[in-house]
Amino acid sequence: MSRLTLLVGASFVLLLTAQPVLFAAPPSAEDVAFFENKIRPLLVKHCYECHATDAKEVGGKLLMDGREATRKGGESGPAFVEGKPNESLLIQALRYDGLEMPPEKPLPESAINDFVEWVRRGAPDPRVEPKAKPKPKPEANKASEFWSLQPVQNPTPPEVQQADWPRDAVDKFVLSRVEKAGLAPAADAAPAFLVRRLYYDLIGLPPTINQVDDFVADYRQHGQEALERLVNRLLESPQYGEHWGRYWLDVARFGESNGNDGLGRNPTFPHAWRYRDYVIAAFNEDRPYDQFLTEQLAGDLLPHDTPEQHDRNLVATGFLALGSKPAKAMNTNFEMDVVADQIDAMSRGFMGFTVACARCHDHKFDPIPTRDYYALAGIFASSETMWGTAAHENLTAPVTDLHVLKAAAKVPPPADFVETVLGKDSNTGQPKAPPKSKWAPGTPLAMGVRDKAKPADTKVHIKGEPSKAGEVVPRGFLSAFSLPDTIEVDTKQSGRLQLAQWLTHPRHPLTARVMVNRIWQQLFGAGIVRTPDDFGLYGERPTNPELLDHLATRFVQQGWSIKRLIRELVLSHTYRLASEADAKLLEADPQNLLFARSVRRRLHAEALRDSMLQVSGQLNLQPGAGSLVRHRDILVNLAGNLHQPSHQRSVYLCYLRSSPPPELAAFDLPEFTSVTGKRDVSTVPGQALHLYNSPFVVEQANHFARLVMKEAEQPQQRVRVAWRRAFCREPNEKELAQAVQFVQWTQDEVKSAEMAWGSLCQALLCANEFRYID
Amino acid sequence: MSYSRRQVLQSISGGLGWLALQALLGEQVQAAPKPTGEPAVGLAPRKPPLPARAKRVIFLCMSGGPAHLDTFDYKPQTGNKKHPGSVFEFAQFGESGLWISELLPETARHADKLCVINGMYADTGIHAQSFLQLHTGDRLRERPSLGSWVVYGLGTENQNLPGFISLNTSKSSIYSSSFLPSIYTGTPIGVNGEDMSKATINNMLSDHLPLSAKRRQLDLVQMLNREHHAQRPTEDALESVIQSMELGFEMQAQAPELMDISRETQETLDRYQVGKQTESVGVCKPSDFGRQCLLARRFIEAGVRFVEVNHGSWDQHKNHRRDLQANCAATDAPIAALLDDLKQRGLLDDTLVVWGGEFGRPGLTPEDGKDETGHNNRGFTFWLAGGGVKGGYVHGKTNESGAQAVEGKVHFRDLHATILHLLGLPSNDLTYWYAGRDHRLTGPEGGQVVKALFA
Repeated sequence: MSRLTLLVGASFVLLLTAQPVLFAAPPSAEDVAFFENKIRPLLVKHCYECHATDAKEVGGKLLMDGREATRKGGESGPAFVEGKPNESLLIQALRYDGLEMPPEKPLPESAINDFVEWVRRGAPDPRVEPKAKPKPKPEANKASEFWSLQPVQNPTPPEVQQADWPRDAVDKFVLSRVEKAGLAPAADAAPAFLVRRLYYDLIGLPPTINQVDDFVADYRQHGQEALERLVNRLLESPQYGEHWGRYWLDVARFGESNGNDGLGRNPTFPHAWRYRDYVIAAFNEDRPYDQFLTEQLAGDLLPHDTPEQHDRNLVATGFLALGSKPAKAMNTNFEMDVVADQIDAMSRGFMGFTVACARCHDHKFDPIPTRDYYALAGIFASSETMWGTAAHENLTAPVTDLHVLKAAAKVPPPADFVETVLGKDSNTGQPKAPPKSKWAPGTPLAMGVRDKAKPADTKVHIKGEPSKAGEVVPRGFLSAFSLPDTIEVDTKQSGRLQLAQWLTHPRHPLTARVMVNRIWQQLFGAGIVRTPDDFGLYGERPTNPELLDHLATRFVQQGWSIKRLIRELVLSHTYRLASEADAKLLEADPQNLLFARSVRRRLHAEALRDSMLQVSGQLNLQPGAGSLVRHRDILVNLAGNLHQPSHQRSVYLCYLRSSPPPELAAFDLPEFTSVTGKRDVSTVPGQALHLYNSPFVVEQANHFARLVMKEAEQPQQRVRVAWRRAFCREPNEKELAQAVQFVQWTQDEVKSAEMAWGSLCQALLCANEFRYID
Repeated sequence: MSYSRRQVLQSISGGLGWLALQALLGEQVQAAPKPTGEPAVGLAPRKPPLPARAKRVIFLCMSGGPAHLDTFDYKPQTGNKKHPGSVFEFAQFGESGLWISELLPETARHADKLCVINGMYADTGIHAQSFLQLHTGDRLRERPSLGSWVVYGLGTENQNLPGFISLNTSKSSIYSSSFLPSIYTGTPIGVNGEDMSKATINNMLSDHLPLSAKRRQLDLVQMLNREHHAQRPTEDALESVIQSMELGFEMQAQAPELMDISRETQETLDRYQVGKQTESVGVCKPSDFGRQCLLARRFIEAGVRFVEVNHGSWDQHKNHRRDLQANCAATDAPIAALLDDLKQRGLLDDTLVVWGGEFGRPGLTPEDGKDETGHNNRGFTFWLAGGGVKGGYVHGKTNESGAQAVEGKVHFRDLHATILHLLGLPSNDLTYWYAGRDHRLTGPEGGQVVKALFA
C-alpha cells in the first residue's frame, strides 16, 4: 500500500498541530464491540501496512495503530473530526474525494459506511499505543495468547442469586451470565414440548401421542424422576446411536462413493457402510470418546482380544480412507491430496483447527507453520490408505488392498445378481465387465489404513509443490502448544497411534473442548463456540468460556463418556427452558448467546423423512443391512439413479457423493467432502416443491390417510386421529371444522375419499408444526 | 441466528465483505434480527458494487471442444503440413468484416454483435478436467459453478423461478453450488440427453391432485402455519417458511407455463428449429438445441439470472468435416434466432451471451487426406455478445497453425473475471469463506479482467 501522500501540498502541514492527549471516558461496551467487529479488522487489513508503528515506511506520517496516534493525525492533519464524518479527512479519503485511500481501490461501500458510523459515534477506540518496536508477528500468531490453545481450566461454578434455579453446575454457569446481564431465564417449557424435544434430540424421532400423554402424567406426578426415566430409556434405545451417529458421520465427511474426481468419474465405496455401522454401534455402546478417536486414527495398531474387536478396530480406520479424492490422472499431487484430506478431517474434526493452509505456506492467521503440516503429513504418508478398487478406474485412483475382516459374516451377492452398470473401454467404447476381485465373493472387507513397511519422515513441499522439496521434517504434532508429557512418534511406526495419544491427552487444549461443544450444539441449537469446526482466529470466541471449560474438564474426568454428558445436559434446568421468552430477553439477547431460553429448530433432512415414515406407519426400525452398493464396484455417474425406495431410517440410505438420496436432497444435506459440524438451514421454494410433489411425501401421506380412515369412520373422528398422529395433540374446534370442510370440498372435487384424506394428511406433514421442534 | 459474528467480521475484512455477508445472512433470510444493519438477502436481487454492463447471462456451452479453426479463427491453408488451417471456407461479414466460417451462415448475420476471443487457452486437454475448470475454475475438485457465483453475487430477479438453470445438462458438478449455500445451486432441466420436450424441474409436477385441489391444500397448510406462528410470534423463520411455501407453489404454476412453448408462433418455432434435429450424426447428439435456446430466451425474459444451454459433442475426432457440419447445422440457426429475439426485445443490451467449449481442436491439411482432429487447449475461441461487450471485434490471436494463443491471451480465469466484472462483480473479491479460507471463482491466482472487450 502506498503512502498517504499529500495532494494539497505544504500548506496542509500547518494543520499538523499536536492534539492534546485527552483521557476521555472509556468507550461503552457496545462501542468497543463495534470497533472490534467492524473497524479494527479493516484497519489491520487495509491501513496498517503503511500506517502502523512497524510499517516499513509510515505513509504521510500518519499512524493508525493506536487511539492517540489516530486522533493526532499525520501530515494532512487530524484524520477525523469526532462525530462529523463529512468533515473528516479519513472519510473523504475513503470516498476517494480528494485523497484516495486505500490507494489500490476503494473499500466496499459497507466498509466505508462502517467508518462513517464509527466517526459519527465519536470514533470510540479502546486501543492503547503500541510500543515503538512491536513484535514482528501479528497478534494473532501469538499462540501463547490464543484462547483455544490455553490449558483447559476447571472453573468453580459461580454463585447465583436465584439459588434454587440450578439443577446442575452447568446451570450456574448459564444463570450467572444471565443475571449479570440483568435478565432472567425463560420459563420452563410445557411438558408436552419438552418430551417432543427430548425424543428428537436423543433419538431423532417424534414421540407418539401415548408417549407424550404418559410422560406428561408421569412428570406431573414425579417430576425430575419421570424425566430421568424417560432420558434413560431413550439413551438406551438403539435409535440413539442412529441419531447421534449420523451427526458424527457429517463430521467424518462420510460418503459411499468418491464423488466426482474431476474427470466426471464417481466410483462407489462398496464397503464404506461398515464404518457407518461402526459409528452407530460406538455411540450405542458409549465408547469413550478418547477410545473412539484412537480407533479411527489407529485402530489397526491396537491390540485385540476377539475377532470382533479385530474387525471393529480395522473398520474404524475407514475414517481416514473414505475421503473424496481428485483423480490420479495428470495429478502429481495425488498422494499428498489424500494426505491433505486426512489431515483436514483429523484436524478440523477432532481439534476444530484448520491445518490445511499450511500445506503451502505458514498459516496466515493461526499458529500453524508449514513444518507442522509436514510433521503430520509424514505420519499419514507413512500409512497406506486403502480405498479399494475405485471401480477399477486407474485414472481415478490406483487399486488398493482392503482390510479383510475375521468375524463379520460372508455375504455373497444374491445368486441372480447381475451388474447392470458397466464401465466403457476407453479404446473401443464397448462396455466392459468389471475385473474379477482378488477375494472370494462375499469376503467381508473394510476400507481403512495400515502402516507402510518403511515409515519415513516427509520433506516440506515448498508452496505445496511436490517438485520443490525442502527440508525433511521429523514426524510430530502441532508446535503451537505443549503438553505436560512428551509424546514422540515411534519411528518404527507411522505415528498414528502417538498422534491419537497426543490428541486424547487429558491436557490437550482442543480435543475435549471441541467435542463438548459439538454435543452442546446438538442439544442447545448453537454451540458455545458457534463455529464448531473452527476454534482458530477466524472462528467464533466462546460465548461462555467458563462453561466450555467446565464441560471439557468434566467430560475428561468422567472418562470421555458422551452418553453421560448428554444425559447430564438434558437433565439440566437450562435444557428444559421454553423457546418463547419475554420481549426483554429477546431484545437483549436476540442470538441467545446467553442460553437463557431454548431455540426453535427445524427438523433436518433425516429427521423429517423418519418422522413422516413414523406417522404414516411405515417406519422400519430394523437396522439397515449393508448398503445398496455393497456388491457394486461401479461408477455412480454411469448408473442413473441408484437409489431404491426404503422404509428404514434415513441413516441407512445410501450416501453417495454427488448423488445424494433424493428423499433428503432438498433439505441442506452437506456434500460430505469435508468436515461439517453444522449444517446450513436454508429456506427455498425447492423444499416446498419436495413437500408438494415428491413421490415419497405423497406415498407417506397416502399411507397415513389409510391408517386414519381405518381407525375411524366419522370425519371428525378421523381428523382427531390425524392430528394426534401428526402433531401429538387434539385439534381445536376451529381446526376440526376447517379440516372436515376441507376434506368435504376436496372430495367433492376429486370424487375420491382416499385422495381427499390423503390431501389432508399431506397438509399435516407439510405444516410447520410438524417440521419444527419447540 | 445462523451466521456468526466471526464470519461477518472475516467477510468484511476479506475485501468485498458485503457480498459474503449477504450470503451468510441469506441462509436464514428473515430469521434473525440484523444487528449489523446489513441488508439481509439470500436470493433477493441486489445492486452490484461496480457499474454493471450486464444483468444476466446465457452461456451456450459447446461441450467436446469446438474446432476454432473451422468456425471463427480463420487460417488460410498454406499447403504446409506443419501449418494446417481451416478446411471450410470463410468469408467476412458485417461492417466489421469479421471472418466467419461457411458453416455458420445465420450466426454470421450477427457478426457486428460478436466479440470474438481468439486468444483463449486452458490448462489441460482432458475433457472432463477442462470442462470442470470452464464451469468452476478448478479442474480437479468440485467447486461452485460460475452460475452459482453469479447468483451468490447478484441474487435473482424472479423469486418464483430458480436463479440459475442448466438445460440439457450433464454432471451435477457443473451446476453445483458446492460449498456455497444450497440456495445458489443450479436447477437442472433435462439431464444426460433426456428428451427436452419432456424434461422438467425435479418435483415440479405430480398428478396425485389437480392444481386447484393443491391450492386448497396449501391454503389449509398456511392456515395451520399462521396459527402456529401466531403462538410463536417472535420466530421470524416461520414467516419465511410460509413465504417460501407460496413461492414454491407459484413456481409450480409458473415454470411449467414458461416451459410450455406451444403458444409461440410457428414462425418462431421454425426460426429456432425446435425439434428439428432428431438423429445423431456421428458425435453430434440430438439435443433439441432450438428448444433450449427458446427456453433460454423465455427464462431470461422472466428474470432468471443465469441460463446455461448445452450442446455436444463437438469432439469430432474422426469424420471431422461431417460431424462439425452437423454440430454447426444443429446450433447455427437457433443461436441466431436467440440473438435476434434478444435484440428485438431490447434484452441484448444487458444480457451477456457467451459461446464456447472446454478447448479447441488443431487444424487439418486437406492434402494428406486426413479427416481427424484431436484436442487443442493452448489456443481456441470463445465469443461474447451483448451485455456491454464490443461487437464486430476480435481479441487476441493464435499462431499460424492455430495451435497456440500468442496475443491477447485469455485463460478461463480471465474469462470468469471478465464475466463477473461485466455483471458489476469484482471478480477477485467475490469470496466465500469455507474450510478455513476465502475461496473465489478465479482461484488463488486470480483472473485478469479483459477490459479491451468492453464496449
